[in-house]
Amino acid sequence: MIRFGPYILKTLWRHRTRTLLTVSGAAVALFVYSFVGAVQEGLNRLASDQSHHRTLIVFQANRFCPSTSKLPEDYARKIEQMPGVAGAVPIKVYMNNCRASLDVVVFNGLPAEKLKATRQLDLSEGDWSTFEKQRDGIVVGQAVALRRKLKVGQKFSIGALTTSIAGIFTSPIPSEQNMIYAHLEFLQRIKGLNSVGTCTQVEVALTADANSDAVCRAIDERFRGGPISTDTRTRGVFQARAVGDLIELVGFVRLLGLACVALVLALVSTTTLMGVQDRIREHAILQTVGCTPARIFSFVIAESLIVCLVGGGFGIGAAMCALQFSGLALGTEGILIAFLPSLALAATGLAIAAGVGVVAGLAPAWQAANAEIVPALRTA
Amino acid sequence: MLVVDVDHVTKQFTKGEHTITPLRDTTFQMERGDFVSLMGASGSGKSTLLNLVAGIDRPTTGRITVAGQEITGLSRSRLARWRAEHVGYIFQTHNLVPVLTAYENIELPLLLLPLSRSERRRRVDVTLEAVGLADRADHYPRQLSGGQEQRVGIARAIVANPTVVVADEPTGDLDGETTGQILDLLQRLNTELGMTLLMVTHDLHAASVASRRYRLEQGQLIARESAVVAGSLT
Repeated sequence: MIRFGPYILKTLWRHRTRTLLTVSGAAVALFVYSFVGAVQEGLNRLASDQSHHRTLIVFQANRFCPSTSKLPEDYARKIEQMPGVAGAVPIKVYMNNCRASLDVVVFNGLPAEKLKATRQLDLSEGDWSTFEKQRDGIVVGQAVALRRKLKVGQKFSIGALTTSIAGIFTSPIPSEQNMIYAHLEFLQRIKGLNSVGTCTQVEVALTADANSDAVCRAIDERFRGGPISTDTRTRGVFQARAVGDLIELVGFVRLLGLACVALVLALVSTTTLMGVQDRIREHAILQTVGCTPARIFSFVIAESLIVCLVGGGFGIGAAMCALQFSGLALGTEGILIAFLPSLALAATGLAIAAGVGVVAGLAPAWQAANAEIVPALRTA
Repeated sequence: MLVVDVDHVTKQFTKGEHTITPLRDTTFQMERGDFVSLMGASGSGKSTLLNLVAGIDRPTTGRITVAGQEITGLSRSRLARWRAEHVGYIFQTHNLVPVLTAYENIELPLLLLPLSRSERRRRVDVTLEAVGLADRADHYPRQLSGGQEQRVGIARAIVANPTVVVADEPTGDLDGETTGQILDLLQRLNTELGMTLLMVTHDLHAASVASRRYRLEQGQLIARESAVVAGSLT
């Protein structure tokens, strides 16, 4: 088969416009498929993080958007003293867009000492001491910095907020890379928000032996008669509720990705069939020379496979580059779903491209392999 | 030594409501080193007989044995493998693969045999030399004249040193001068290399270079300028 490699490649190059158009089609489809796959992976990552079951989020009862939840800041100190609680951090959330968006910027305001203690952030640029000294200082996730072209030392304004970038961090948790951290007090004093002494939510770390459901119930019970009632859930449940609408949407988009793959199947199959019909006589010559029907079959399958793999390879490669360098994340209600390239996604995409290549070639290959030689030699 | 043995072969096919019988109970044999020409009017069955001997068509009844192998019962795959080893086919219209160079066209049959790259190169070079196209190895069919294309076609047919070479009107598309060159080449293949050739032609002059000549009329094989031969024509 390898010996016939030059023949197969030259055959594809013979109708280069047709081949290149088909390759482009495959590239676009696999690009879309990979991109949608990255969204799905981001959602799965969010859902499968086991640490989300040992962390609780205390929110204001009957509030669903971070902009409307206002808990007294001292709730955190009170919660910290409850049984089963290892620590509690008041967090003020501020964002440029409460609804689902591809370019949502989310600020989380925490006391500086709690930020370093509760988050796995590694500053790649800037330093902590600058952040701690600057009242308006922020540390920016690498993905946001990339997307918004932010540099250390710059001022960054969004809405009523103007901040100074003290550092850019990386984190092993992909969604963190899309986050911006600020001082709690700074976010509480944003002009017009009137939220001094309040926070959006309290993040609660459980002790190793604590029952999360029992602690949730205890917290909500503790504040039932207070100025503001609470709604406490594990972080996993909290996030699932926040992105619930997105799950359906992403599922639908996933179907569109698969539809693109089906479209490529039809496209490659049609192109390969056209190629075979153009070469009925040539295949008859090859059979006369001594090529077996199985060999002719494999030639056609190889053509279809190459078109799909080359197109798919380009599409997947482009998608991986776009995911790597765009720093995109889908955000809703302060929850971020990071789109990231992954080897598994690329490998799955290539496997799908290969599968489509083989399946698309089956009918044309069967036709080519089973053509009778003598009538085929008489074709123009 | 008997190389081709066509034994009481009949070939029929249907066209619409009609049954056509281009060959009727034909018996025909060739010895190693024979150069046989087959003439006949269009539709007389000469190409059909050639295709049957080459193993690219199947008889309705009868048996065909070529190079000691009865080929009428072989599967398509086994028949293809057998052709790669034993048959060289020269087409009227050259039928070169347009995307391959002269060298690559000639190498095609060798790719199907268990030969090393260097052995393939050696054989192709020798064959290109034999057909006088050593300086055209890298040319594509569109860059060659009709006569040169046919010589590449002949080179492709003989490069694997097949047991029998069949030629279907090999000079049908060529001018007078080129026809002479091609016939001379075929004759040299027969006399100098001892190749067994079966050639179908319309051209009396072309037929005359063969050592044995036959005509096909109404499905019957007739020795040229002789009466109907019923039975073997060795």
